[in-house]
Amino acid sequence: MKVNQIYVNLPVKDIQKTKEFWTNVGFSINEQFSDDKAVCVVLNDTIYVMFLTEEYFQTFSERPVPKGDTTQVLVAIGLNSREEVDQVVNAAVANGAYQHEEPQDYGWMYQNSFWDINGHGWNVTFADMSQMPSQP
Amino acid sequence: MEINQIYVNLPVKDVQKTREFWTKLGFSINEQFSDEKAICVIMKQDHIYTMFLKEEFFQTFTDRPVAKGDTTQTLLAIGVNSREEVDQMLKTATENGGSKYSELRDYGWMYQKTFADLDGHQWEVLFSDMSQLPAEF
Repeated sequence: MKVNQIYVNLPVKDIQKTKEFWTNVGFSINEQFSDDKAVCVVLNDTIYVMFLTEEYFQTFSERPVPKGDTTQVLVAIGLNSREEVDQVVNAAVANGAYQHEEPQDYGWMYQNSFWDINGHGWNVTFADMSQMPSQP
Repeated sequence: MEINQIYVNLPVKDVQKTREFWTKLGFSINEQFSDEKAICVIMKQDHIYTMFLKEEFFQTFTDRPVAKGDTTQTLLAIGVNSREEVDQMLKTATENGGSKYSELRDYGWMYQKTFADLDGHQWEVLFSDMSQLPAEF
């Protein structure tokens, strides 16, 4: 079994601010799947994040939306260079996110992280699999 | 900006049971990234992975407590290649401890069923035929 695409759906308080944030971080918006209740951020042509207003998100689940005091998911995204990793995290921080921990460089993998304006956690990585040790 | 891969990280109570569940659903495991604390499920080779981490291990990556399963922070929608694959995955999931949490949604261009996995993480399995997407979505 394999999937052909993934949409990570996350609740947010303010669609417009979320749209501005992710645009400023450097990603495109799929306008066809965006409106005043949701914004679809294109991470690549098969990987999307849908940010839904909490009220709209709530219609898809019987369990309440968390109040930002717990963590159910952390999303790690891979970029093409160390420079892109820092560029994304720096742009996020400049636009209201906060850096979650200092960057870590394992040689074969470079990792930085931020928590976005809605409190969702993102790990941003560059991995050079050719340099991965046989025992990670 | 475009990413090249995504790892969705989710906390679980039992890594071994989680491995069995996702293997039964038909997915392969990346053993290089799996051990007793975590399992890496290959959803699309080289591009889409889900890492299930034991709660104690997951906790080391966040300052906030791990959610107890009584709230929903994420809904994960995954696209497969046919309505039959959607049906098959739901059947296997519910036969192996997963539970359906909403009714079938069939929009013509999109066919979607949902299940909550062993730890209550919610998956929306869909088949979409973009050529049938109405102009006014």
